[in-house]
Amino acid sequence: MTEQEKEVEEPVPKRVTISNDDLYRRSTQFELWSFTQESLDKAKQKANKTGQLLAQERFNQAFNKSKSENPELFERYKDDELNPQTLITLLTYEEESKFIQFYCQNIVQTTDYFRMPTQVKLTAISLFKKFYLINSMMEYHPKNIMYTSVFLAAKSENYFISIESFVQRLKDVKPSDILDLEFKILQSLKFTLLVHHAFRPLYGFFLDFQAVLLHPSPLMYDVSVDTLGALYDKAKIWLNENAILSDVAFLFTPPQIALAAMYDVNRRVTDRYLKKKFLTTSAVHNDHEEIGDENEEPTNDDNNEIDDQIKSERNQYEILVRTIRKCIRISKQEKPTSEESKEIDKRCKSALSPDKVIERKIKKLTTSP
Amino acid sequence: MATEVANAVSNGISSEVKSPVQSKYSKDKKVGEGTYAVVYLGNQISTKRKIAIKEIKTGLFKDGLDMSAIREVKYLQELKHPNVIELIDVFSTSNNLNLVLEFLPCDLEVLIKDTSIVFKSSDIKSWLLMTLRGVHHCHRNFILHRDLKPNNLLLAPDGQLKIADFGLARSLGNPNEELSSNVVTRWYRAPELLFGAKHYTVAVDIWSVGIIFAELMLRTPYLPGKDDIDQLDVTFRALGTPTDQIWPNVSNLPQYNALKIYPPPSRQELRNRFSAATDNALDLLILMTQMDPSRRCDSTQALLHEFFTEAPRATDPKDLPKKKEKKPVNEGNDNSNAKRRKV
Repeated sequence: MTEQEKEVEEPVPKRVTISNDDLYRRSTQFELWSFTQESLDKAKQKANKTGQLLAQERFNQAFNKSKSENPELFERYKDDELNPQTLITLLTYEEESKFIQFYCQNIVQTTDYFRMPTQVKLTAISLFKKFYLINSMMEYHPKNIMYTSVFLAAKSENYFISIESFVQRLKDVKPSDILDLEFKILQSLKFTLLVHHAFRPLYGFFLDFQAVLLHPSPLMYDVSVDTLGALYDKAKIWLNENAILSDVAFLFTPPQIALAAMYDVNRRVTDRYLKKKFLTTSAVHNDHEEIGDENEEPTNDDNNEIDDQIKSERNQYEILVRTIRKCIRISKQEKPTSEESKEIDKRCKSALSPDKVIERKIKKLTTSP
Repeated sequence: MATEVANAVSNGISSEVKSPVQSKYSKDKKVGEGTYAVVYLGNQISTKRKIAIKEIKTGLFKDGLDMSAIREVKYLQELKHPNVIELIDVFSTSNNLNLVLEFLPCDLEVLIKDTSIVFKSSDIKSWLLMTLRGVHHCHRNFILHRDLKPNNLLLAPDGQLKIADFGLARSLGNPNEELSSNVVTRWYRAPELLFGAKHYTVAVDIWSVGIIFAELMLRTPYLPGKDDIDQLDVTFRALGTPTDQIWPNVSNLPQYNALKIYPPPSRQELRNRFSAATDNALDLLILMTQMDPSRRCDSTQALLHEFFTEAPRATDPKDLPKKKEKKPVNEGNDNSNAKRRKV
């Protein structure tokens, strides 16, 4: 092509295809709320650090105030009972993480109690967790943040409940406790409310499993609509018991989480689906009709292109399975016990109201002989 | 303007996020006030770009943040498309929520009503195309708009059409979820909604687009019902009363009773009503206004319709008719109109 031709040539508008993956990558869930394990830990540590600083400041104020009111007492016990180092309570990052998980279980109970749809429950958990990626429990006690997350999630998911009827059925909560926090939560969420959950793709996979494994004729002798239905139901339970309390929503995409649930419930069937779905070239060019479960090698050696194709499919499949397994592992991490949580709650309250801790200590020291 | 961030919760971390944001924009002129929001015109300081700021009052309502405010923020944060209004930024001032939106000085209703402006068929095609592209983007993201009408189709100075007002939008329902049928401004409400259906799909938006298409050709509202009952009558007089034959089980819908049965219009009758429409234009209109929502076309089918490939080619947006320049007072009217809704 000559220079001149280049100049007169009209720019041909390039056709851009936007895939569904592209759409997901443009969602706020991906842009703002998806992390690697490292960046997630970092965010949590940052929130914890900020909380510790605030709690430290709050403690210093209370301590100095009390000290100026009781100088002799503080002088006498300065090395033991009234030593600021032993008196102050700061939650560690691990404690905060555990307590968040514990409160997610509370959200499940609350939304169940109000008979709210699954969608509200999932969104409430998501809003709550995101709040504590930005803020610390040493600044906001989780109880009212939890109720406000539920209240806001209900509105966001079209399940409106008036503040009176909501508060009426809760213990020790006033409308203002919730309404005053609603905006604060929205701010912490960076004004993003749309959450994609794993349950919808799970339903999609349930349908696609049927299409892939049952049609035109069943691929496995013991798989039918009924067994797939049972797999689907168990996978839903699995998500409720494992995934929704864990951090997987920050680390994986909803379809990955859905596949993790199915894989862990029935590895044989799910793996068969994944192979059929992803290893299409090797299926066509393989000598044996069926794909063996493990260690099967592509047998075609006279066509490099097909070989490459098979390799890249194999690679994709393996990455996916590794991702799913990682997701399963993180989903099933141990959940905190209620004893543990009670202990953290006590410490959380101490961090939030150091004045009360000091007051109690002084009372003890002055009344006991 | 300079109401400094006196945020209720200004302890440490919370306030640092927003004060710099707030000073990025100027609020120059108040142009409209609705029940839950005030709209200002202003500039993005760094770029001099004209913007509109919708300040949503929070603290005002007994149930906290208003549902339409929640929906508007929720969906506009996700939708980035040349034919959907751009949410440039969100920030907060002393418990008010501020949406920074692109400045859109006109809407399609204003143009339709201005009889001194002539619409060429290529102009109508261009507006319809842009509307469908925006709707397609919403639907691909599983979002129903639920209030499409000419005055929610705003026009940028460069002629681009932008879908606005997501105060009634929602995500596509889950299989067993019940949806409210009391949505969409009456004249643009699909028959399944008029019948009180609790389960519906993106087809409700396609109906609205079809009715807007008709209105662009007629230059007057196509199905202007006086009330909800009259809307049924007006709709079926124009397009025929649906029966179980053409729409299986329609008679089981809650509001399907005591209907006057009108025959569906013949091709010739439609041709007479839309005298300037080509056969392809009529075909597309018929596809978008099918009574049975499962027979209505979706946004993909509409966009691929031959109407858009036959001559004349859709007008380039920058060459589309514009509002006649009068006094700038109109800007205010447009903006406040955009919030008015007859639900």
